[in-house]
Amino acid sequence: MNKHFLSLFFLITLFFIKSAIASPISYPGGWTIMQMNDFNRHSVHFHLSPSVKYSIGYRGEYWRKKEWQFHGTQLNYLIKRFNTPKSQANLYLKSGAGLAVSDYKNLNNKIEPNIFSGISVDWEDRQYFVSYQNRVNYNSSIDTFFLQKARIGFAPYVGDYGDFHTWVMLQVESMTKTKNKIIYTPMLRMFKGDLLAEVGLTNYKDFMFNFIKRF
Amino acid sequence: MKFTITIILLFFTLITFNVTKSQEKLENEVLSISVNGLVCDFCARSIEKLFSKKESVKSINVNLEQMLITISLKKGKSLNDDIITKVITDSGYDIREIRRDR
Repeated sequence: MNKHFLSLFFLITLFFIKSAIASPISYPGGWTIMQMNDFNRHSVHFHLSPSVKYSIGYRGEYWRKKEWQFHGTQLNYLIKRFNTPKSQANLYLKSGAGLAVSDYKNLNNKIEPNIFSGISVDWEDRQYFVSYQNRVNYNSSIDTFFLQKARIGFAPYVGDYGDFHTWVMLQVESMTKTKNKIIYTPMLRMFKGDLLAEVGLTNYKDFMFNFIKRF
Repeated sequence: MKFTITIILLFFTLITFNVTKSQEKLENEVLSISVNGLVCDFCARSIEKLFSKKESVKSINVNLEQMLITISLKKGKSLNDDIITKVITDSGYDIREIRRDR
């Protein structure tokens, strides 16, 4: 199941990369695709931003430990942005609704409505970065949890526009109802132009890879 | 004699070319836009994409160090402050100052 789902993710990702390159537009009207793989889950999220205030799109997830999927719509809303001469900070609300589909033991082939919501806050200047986000997930029996994620990072060198940028970060993640309560992930964030990639290794020796492309 | 004429023609061609280039420079308006919040290259791409869609924009340069966007307009074209402010706001930033040079 896991392999089939991963294959589907990559096919979807490749399809959208291909189709979006043919129409390279951005904010407002810009597309973004995010493909993430970490200790707990594999996910893909592609969204359209009708304005600078919000974006809406499809979200698909596969939760590895409890073997369930989420397929639905996610809405990201910018509550407040703080622009200063030296930094930027953002406060977002991220919410979604869709279906949870389970493959797990006695929950096999179970399908339930699933909702989630959470806030995300970040601050960065040209050399330092801090972020925090949380998520409450609810469905009636497959998996209900509260997840929190925080990051701190710095840029070992400050590049200018168009350069290859590198950030060194530490991510700390906590999720209720899991055996491994706190997951530490030292990671590297790299980006150039419209492409961003993150690689890391958790304290449980699990690989993390994230990829974002903006159009 | 032919050689002298060739040299003279080349000389005048070069002068004419330089005068034309100088006039172009004089007629092309250059906008220097100072913005707040311009810290991330990845996020600042939206500025380039949105300004590039404007017919009057010839080229754009983003300087993260000075938080400065420099836009060179096409000859005889202009971009008013309302449009500039909308593009910068749509990109997620706040304008500090717009300076115009010719």
